[in-house]
Amino acid sequence: MKVTDILRLARENLRRRKGRTALTVIGVVVGTCAIVVMISLGLAMSQSIESMLASWGDLTQIQIYNYVYGSTDAPTLDDEMLASIKALEHVTAVTPYYQARNVNATIVAGKNDRYNSYFYETYGLYPDAVEALGIQLISGNYLTETTDVGKGKIPVLVGENFAYSFYDSTKDWNSSKYQVYQGQTDALGNPVDPFVNVEKDKMWIRLQTWDDDGNEKHEDYQMVVVGVMASDYAKGYFTDSGIVMRLADLKRLEQAYEKLAGKRSSGSASYMVGVNGGGMVAQQDNGYENVYVKVDSVDHVEEVEEIIQSYGYQTNSMVQTREAMQAQVAQTQFILGGLAAISLFVAALNIANTMTMAIYERTREIGVMKVLGCELGKIRTLFLVEAGGIGFLGGVIGVILSLIISFIMNNFALIAAVLGFGGAGMGDLSSIFGMYTDGSSAASVIPIWLILFALAFATLVGVLSGIMPAVRATKISALEAIRHE
Amino acid sequence: MTPVIEVTNLRKIYKVGNEKVYALNNVNLEIYPGEVCCIVGQSGSGKSTLLNQLAGLEKPTTGQVKILGKEISAMTENQLAKFRQENLGFIFQSYNLLPSMTAVENVALPLMFKGVSLQKRTQLAKAALAQMGLSRRANHKPTEMSGGQQQRVGIARAFVSHPKVVFADEPTGNLDSYTTKKVLYQMLSMAYQQGITFIMVTHEPELAACADRVITLLDGVVQSNHLLPVQEIEHNRAELFRELEETQE
Ligand SMILES: Nc1ncnc2c1ncn2[C@@H]1O[C@H](COP(=O)(O)OP(=O)(O)OP(=O)(O)O)[C@@H](O)[C@H]1O
Ligand SMILES: [Mg+2]
Repeated sequence: MKVTDILRLARENLRRRKGRTALTVIGVVVGTCAIVVMISLGLAMSQSIESMLASWGDLTQIQIYNYVYGSTDAPTLDDEMLASIKALEHVTAVTPYYQARNVNATIVAGKNDRYNSYFYETYGLYPDAVEALGIQLISGNYLTETTDVGKGKIPVLVGENFAYSFYDSTKDWNSSKYQVYQGQTDALGNPVDPFVNVEKDKMWIRLQTWDDDGNEKHEDYQMVVVGVMASDYAKGYFTDSGIVMRLADLKRLEQAYEKLAGKRSSGSASYMVGVNGGGMVAQQDNGYENVYVKVDSVDHVEEVEEIIQSYGYQTNSMVQTREAMQAQVAQTQFILGGLAAISLFVAALNIANTMTMAIYERTREIGVMKVLGCELGKIRTLFLVEAGGIGFLGGVIGVILSLIISFIMNNFALIAAVLGFGGAGMGDLSSIFGMYTDGSSAASVIPIWLILFALAFATLVGVLSGIMPAVRATKISALEAIRHE
Repeated sequence: MTPVIEVTNLRKIYKVGNEKVYALNNVNLEIYPGEVCCIVGQSGSGKSTLLNQLAGLEKPTTGQVKILGKEISAMTENQLAKFRQENLGFIFQSYNLLPSMTAVENVALPLMFKGVSLQKRTQLAKAALAQMGLSRRANHKPTEMSGGQQQRVGIARAFVSHPKVVFADEPTGNLDSYTTKKVLYQMLSMAYQQGITFIMVTHEPELAACADRVITLLDGVVQSNHLLPVQEIEHNRAELFRELEETQE
């Protein structure tokens, strides 16, 4: 007996009992639909979580928090320690994000130092780490140890919109001329240039201090922009409006300031902070307070982070957040998946029932087939193909229905608007579908593999539910069957 | 000449409650190639049981059945299925056509199990139906045909794959006497044309009178087993089919 003949017979048998076949297929359709839609919701959830996390920060980055209050077992986080972290496997770059917080300085530019900007978004980094950390430039070059812009001048990278951070010190702070905003236009609609052209105009870092009599003392260091960073909040606000310079240069400025101010302070000042119970504890100097470690891939972040933690440092990375959120999504998916599985299980019972009924109806037929020389295996295959056919058919319709449902969920607002029953109530509904999404991403995602999986799974469920009836069919005694009136 | 069918010490015992029913008790038989053989006897004498044993539809309690030198009583179900495809044909009292299929499809069924292509088997089935004088009913479903027509479809189905042996259990049991003759005539002519051994259970003495060999059973035992003289057979056949041949001319 040929395979094509078995397929043809199976098709005829299903067609012969259209009504019952249709009812059984509907069961599978519901089950398949439930599974596909549930999985697609889960996929969309984890997708939007990934993109949300990526927008919050770099997934392959570890931050070492080294703000120490009270005593600590952790060794001093100095350049030597950073070098040994850099030497760890999978680590591609390490740098402190050093801020000279006790330095009082202003950025000045323009005639009579008219335009001023702030110094506090200034970071000192190892120059070779800047590119490795994924900080992009929109123009110019990265800093290197050997970058030289003239004696006493400091090479820097500035944020994409650093130019807009300047204000006009001759104007009152609430005057409309006090500052130019990014995207500001004049009466004719032409964009307004910022006060300072950071790549052409001269700018100075002005260290300022006052003696006991209130007389200002200052010292200026010219800064030269060698590159402009692309604004990326995931890397930090400084890529938008701040300054990055070589760690050594920032330390040099700090020393110059201390000399000017006439006092010696440690690399990082001692701050007094309140702790539980209202007591005051001094912050200890334990080296760099804020260090970033870049790892070659997401998969190794946890490993590297554990090593760093074993030294006694506190760390933070997106991996922790990510795992917590993923666990939550997995739990939601598990519950949804369970519901879907139940509906498919019911469909499987349905198929088994239908096939068993078919056996009783076709006992005589099976007997005749046996007497005429049909092998047992073929009879079994015939029943399995029929059951699998019900599963496959249900799978196909279920997938099509899922695609429609998915489309409706993803375009709910649009469809509601088109049908003309938008409004607040409907808005609430669409926010339910999009509960884990940020609006831009889909509420339901159905990739090709999910479609293929659903078809295969529905067919498999059909075949599996057909096994028992099929085996039973082969056990029918031919003699009993043909006597059967 | 070697026999087509050889039965030795065949016993079939049914247990009903605590009681044993000896449906067949120590049957020994030989049937030779090309013979038309009738099994006769009273109701309950074991005719159907014997035929079922011969055809391998049931396993004997003891003893053996050999067909074409093969011991079918020892075959597995799948071996039997293959053996049936190649060598055996069946005609049932209640026709047993598949109700969802047309006459051609029913006739083509044994060929389908053998693996013959759709085109080829349809062609062969149509030819077999034509021989039965049923060309015009080829695409009818069983419910659209009379009993006699259905049985002729059944005969076409039994002979279509050119088996070595065809079995029939009261093939005319549900037909009127005229149709009975017609059906019998067609079965016999098919068997003779193709040299097929034909074994039939019947209650009707005039059918038995046309057989080469008549086996009479009584309470599960072979009471008599004898060949009829050739002249007598020919006389009986001429007698039986005379009016049939007259109407066909
Ligand atoms: N499956 C069975 N279970 C128990 N007893 C059976 C079974 N089949 C047949 N018998 C018994 O075996 C004996 C022979 O039955 P069988 O059907 O062979 O008779 P038969 O000669 O074909 O009769 P009929 O002419 O009425 O068809 C009977 O006594 C019958 O009751
Ligand atoms: Mg009988």
